[in-house]
Amino acid sequence: MITAERKPMEELIECLRPYHRILLVGCNECVTVCSAGGRKEVGILSSALQMAFMKEGKTLDVKEITLERQCDPEYVEELVTHIDQAEAVMSMACGCGVQEIAGRFKSKPVFPALNTTFMGASERQGVWVERCQGCGECVLALTGGICPIARCAKQLLNGPCGGSTNGKCEVDPDIDCAWQLIWDRLKALGLEDRYEDNIAAKDWRTGRGGGPRKIIREDLVK
Amino acid sequence: MENFEPVIVAFCCHYCAYTAADMAGSKRLCYPPNVKIIKVPCSGKVDAIHIMKALEMGADGVYVAGCLDGDCHFKNGNIGAAKRVAYIKKLLDEIGIGGERVEMVLMSAGMGERFAQTATEITEKIRKLGPNPVKSVNEAKTAA
Amino acid sequence: MQAQDTLKQNNTVLVIGGGVGGIRAAMDLAESNRDVVLIDKSYSIGGLMTQLDRTFPTNNCDLCTLSPDLSEAGRQLHIELLAMTQVAEAEGEAGDFKLKLITAPRYIDLEKCTACGDCFNKFPECVRFTPGLDHRAPTCMRYPQAIPHAFSIDMEKCNDVDALVQVCKAGAIIPEDTQKVREVEAGAIVLAPGAEVFAPDKLDSLGYAANPDVVTSLEYERILSASGPTQGELVRPSDGKQPKKIAWIQCVGSRSIHEGAASYCSSVCCMFALKETIVTKERFQDSIETTIFYMDMRTFGKDYELYLNRAKNDYGIRLVRSRPHSVFHDSETGRLSIIYSPDDGGSNLTEDFDMVVLSTGFKISEDVQELAGKLGIELNEHHFAKTGGFSPVSTSKPGIYACGMFESPKDIPETMVQASAAAFCASKDISILSEPIESIDEFPPERDVSQEPLRIGVFVCDCGLNIGDVINAKDLADYAGTLADVKRSEMVGYGCSRETMKHIQDVIREKELNRVVIGGCSPRTHETKFQDTLRRAGLNKYLVEIANIRDQDTWVHFDRPEDASDKARELIRMAVTSVALSHPLTDNVFPMKKDVLVVGGGVTGMNAALNMADMGVKVYLVERSGELGGVAKNIHKTLEGDDVQAYMKDLIERTTQNDRIEILTNAFIVDHTGMPGMFKTGFQIAPQMFYRQIEHGVTILATGALPNQPKEYLLGEHNNVMTQLDMDAMLEDQPDKIKDLSNVIMIQCVGSRCPENPNCSRICCQSAIKNALRILELNPTVRIFVLYRDMRTYGFQEDYYKKAREKGVIFVRYEADTPPEVQAADEQLQVTFNDPILNRKVSVYADYLCLSTGLIADEESTEDLGRIFRIPKTSDNYFLEDHIKLRPIDLPVAGFFVAGTAHAPKTLRECIAQAQAAAGRAHCLLAKDTLNLGAAIARVDKERCTACLICVRACPFNIPFINADGYSEIDPAQCHGCGICAAECPAKAIQLMQYEDDQILAKLAGLLERVN
Repeated sequence: MITAERKPMEELIECLRPYHRILLVGCNECVTVCSAGGRKEVGILSSALQMAFMKEGKTLDVKEITLERQCDPEYVEELVTHIDQAEAVMSMACGCGVQEIAGRFKSKPVFPALNTTFMGASERQGVWVERCQGCGECVLALTGGICPIARCAKQLLNGPCGGSTNGKCEVDPDIDCAWQLIWDRLKALGLEDRYEDNIAAKDWRTGRGGGPRKIIREDLVK
Repeated sequence: MENFEPVIVAFCCHYCAYTAADMAGSKRLCYPPNVKIIKVPCSGKVDAIHIMKALEMGADGVYVAGCLDGDCHFKNGNIGAAKRVAYIKKLLDEIGIGGERVEMVLMSAGMGERFAQTATEITEKIRKLGPNPVKSVNEAKTAA
Repeated sequence: MQAQDTLKQNNTVLVIGGGVGGIRAAMDLAESNRDVVLIDKSYSIGGLMTQLDRTFPTNNCDLCTLSPDLSEAGRQLHIELLAMTQVAEAEGEAGDFKLKLITAPRYIDLEKCTACGDCFNKFPECVRFTPGLDHRAPTCMRYPQAIPHAFSIDMEKCNDVDALVQVCKAGAIIPEDTQKVREVEAGAIVLAPGAEVFAPDKLDSLGYAANPDVVTSLEYERILSASGPTQGELVRPSDGKQPKKIAWIQCVGSRSIHEGAASYCSSVCCMFALKETIVTKERFQDSIETTIFYMDMRTFGKDYELYLNRAKNDYGIRLVRSRPHSVFHDSETGRLSIIYSPDDGGSNLTEDFDMVVLSTGFKISEDVQELAGKLGIELNEHHFAKTGGFSPVSTSKPGIYACGMFESPKDIPETMVQASAAAFCASKDISILSEPIESIDEFPPERDVSQEPLRIGVFVCDCGLNIGDVINAKDLADYAGTLADVKRSEMVGYGCSRETMKHIQDVIREKELNRVVIGGCSPRTHETKFQDTLRRAGLNKYLVEIANIRDQDTWVHFDRPEDASDKARELIRMAVTSVALSHPLTDNVFPMKKDVLVVGGGVTGMNAALNMADMGVKVYLVERSGELGGVAKNIHKTLEGDDVQAYMKDLIERTTQNDRIEILTNAFIVDHTGMPGMFKTGFQIAPQMFYRQIEHGVTILATGALPNQPKEYLLGEHNNVMTQLDMDAMLEDQPDKIKDLSNVIMIQCVGSRCPENPNCSRICCQSAIKNALRILELNPTVRIFVLYRDMRTYGFQEDYYKKAREKGVIFVRYEADTPPEVQAADEQLQVTFNDPILNRKVSVYADYLCLSTGLIADEESTEDLGRIFRIPKTSDNYFLEDHIKLRPIDLPVAGFFVAGTAHAPKTLRECIAQAQAAAGRAHCLLAKDTLNLGAAIARVDKERCTACLICVRACPFNIPFINADGYSEIDPAQCHGCGICAAECPAKAIQLMQYEDDQILAKLAGLLERVN
């Protein structure tokens, strides 16, 4: 899932300062699952913003709406009936959702309430960890199912750097060295030999290096 | 603000604090009338939104009262509640309302004295903090 | 009370004693539709437990866990509770007992008393209250949740009766009240009269009578208790100062040869003392030193050894192995000197303490012995009830059952087990069930209010003057009448009295009200009553809201009537705004499939199966191995000398021949679904491994434990090294071999109380003593050494320990860090150990080395079954019950019960008691045709749910799961109603019924809208 965290309140209050009536839009997908922008967080932020305004002797009318998915135009369309009453929109979705709303309602200021952080997994309740960088050319088959792009600070493809100590990364001793994990896993699979194979230099054009990416499924395009 | 009488909402767990409050009653232990109790089946049932809404609507202080460590009828609801309260405190600090307006307290059903004492202490603390800053705007809104 | 006429008396069970055991028994009987008369000589029920500050091993107060049971006992329709009542005469036989009961005058009308406390406030000396130590707590009910929730007057102490009568505005005081005699017929009797604490005043050397700072452990408990005389302040009785150094002396009145003291072990005092020291340390850390003087540390219960380790290692409790012979008061320092001889045999030591706590044991009171005489049941030499070797709760007289302390000294969980067992045995004697009382036809059909506009009725109770004296109830009612949607508001006197209830019903009908607010006392005590009132008036019972304007307003703000009035208005407003959003709820009711699955075909499983079959239900008895019998099949004699082989042969025969029991051997459980009353469990049956599925309503797990076989001391390597089980078999099968022996050594705690298996196996001390005595019977010349860490011959087992010592068995203690060493010496074994008295190593050659290896959890089966049934386990792989204190039989998954050594190691007799108890608990569930789980359950809005798993992870009971349709599903049959999932759900997709978000927000709005 895409994970995100709420921005500092100060920043949110600052960007809403000129307005009196806003739409606060949550998303019932990834950001709900990572407890950043679902119906509940919308309720809490709405309350917090209103209190922050009242404290300054002002008022802020907040209309709370949580869409099924902010990154699909049909769902965003549901905002049509409310958009006119609002001077601005604050989106609690990931960056995709914010842009989807901004694209649909061109004359409304749209602000992100969250910092979109990474594609990750739940390690356990309340803890999310980065697992994928969307490089466009998956190497997991070669690395025992552990991604050196997302999990190695240096994105090394052929073994650890010299900073790997006792299985930990030199960037932060709380981070596992991805290559240690890869080695452990290869060993468990009885594929130690693979460790010797060189992984060819990656073509980063499939990733961010080639500019914004697009997927087109001809059979589905209407 | 001389005659400021805070309004305080206490979310009380049915199994401990609510019973302790009743017990304070049967022992006739006086505490400030500022505290108004809302009964919940477990302190773990108290949603962060409930606490935020109480303050937004103008309560000057809110506290959640759960069972003592290890005594939760539902195993660990009180621990979850304490974490949630800590989270709300941080958020309130961030928006300048002040996290000290919200507290988590623990007690057992037998602790009528503790209930009365806690109610008194929290009322005093909130009294010192002064009125919830959102209140004046709310008043203006109502007047308008 | 007119109940006498309506009860089918010969169908009634008389339960004597209202402590935790008696309450459990009464509730079990009532749940299975038997009528119960529960009598207690005290003026409120609860017994000893309600006087405890906290209970081991959780150190919880547990009163909160118990009190709903107490009030349930007070409320249960099948139970007639008679406080202050004793048996005067008894005659008759099983099925037809006739008893004469005498109830002492309370001088209070229970129907009228509201427990307001006015009488106590004005005339404290006339109101009874005596829970130990300093003789008066702030309230004169023994504990805040007392049942009956009423006072009791000591008329002899009252000088001005008229004034006393006047002070009660409810008119509840009846000075002319007299002793009442009534005849009761009962089909069976359950005895749970408990034991009394040994009074140490005769033991001059301990100075209890002379020194106020020498207290009993129960008195210390009262000092610690928040509801005790010092309100939880720990101070010395002599000078009110906090003590710095406290000593506990164990075995006071137990394991003793003193006049009036008992020779048996009181079983619970070691844990009791450990708990008191830990609680003291928890509260005062290093500012109080705690020392326990003991002989053997007997922490033999489930996980109790871990508790002992915590006490030693984490809390720094000092343990001194010695039995002090005297305590002196030093008049100069004001301190208490304890003189004791150290364990190493050195000369006497003296040490000063600020307080001394005597861990007094338990004995049977003379009253209870007299009661036993009236009932004609036999007592053992220690005056406890004599019960059968394989029928642990049956007294010498059919139809009369004993449980709890009266049977033998024991802790609360074991009391609960026996109480359920005794209740079950009694219920088997009552063949004809009375009709379930919760007959719906009393209530008119519910009116459909869904289309009606809101019509709220408010009834403000003045509760005599409890409310009306502080605020103007009439004004409050008038104010309520001005609130939105309130169509009727009035003041009523004593809202909970019968007439007022009737009046409220009439008004609901007349004014067509569809929501009701009661301004009165606590919903905790009175909600059920008002819910009944609504049902009688044809409304759903969940359309009422109670504003607690008494306990939480007028009683605590009587000093500020104006503020109290304001607050009352706010509380009423909150209730009105919230009740407006209430909607009819249906209790979750499920049909009940009555078949039973018993897993495990050992002695426990067979007993459970036979007992259930006796109740007329079909039982599936599933055994993993090829035959019935389990571990007990290899045991020949019990410590008491009962013939286990004969018993097992009979038990297996009865089980296999019972038509209602279907035995599945070689069967492995592979899957399981459903909820109580409708479980489905699948098996594979060897050798073909074909699959079969059965449907059942309840499940009893009796999967047992395994005899431990640790690879220690040449076990399995040397022919003459054996376990106690092997020795037991040899004594039976090859007695000749014993004839030639000269030396036998036994080592205790082999494979128990060690890092790999940290708990005590409980059974090994008594099996060592049993085998030692049997060896000596065959050959009195054998020298037997028992190398032990603590001899844990609890209860009456102590008698056999004493006998073994008298017969010359040599007991030598060893420490865990210096265990005995064993070497093979041809056919013999050379055992070297440290003699603590000589303080040097001693070597002995033994013909046989018997290892007391005890039991170890059957990890494989608890692991598999725990996963399939979703039942938690302890760290050492025994099944973990729902509440280790109060619900030792019920598992956390509804409809599941545990019995026998799958729960923890225990003796055969204890296994049988638990099997009966499990059958009893299962029978309680099955006695109903349906299962009512109330309405407070979490509901998921599937449109909103994102299947994020947060509820799945947050639920303390692992109930929610993501279903095949991809959203969270919460089984209403298993939801406990805590609402934690609702509070955590990030999509706000879960609501807890009765406590929905909009209702809580409405309360806030009701409170705060006028503030704004």
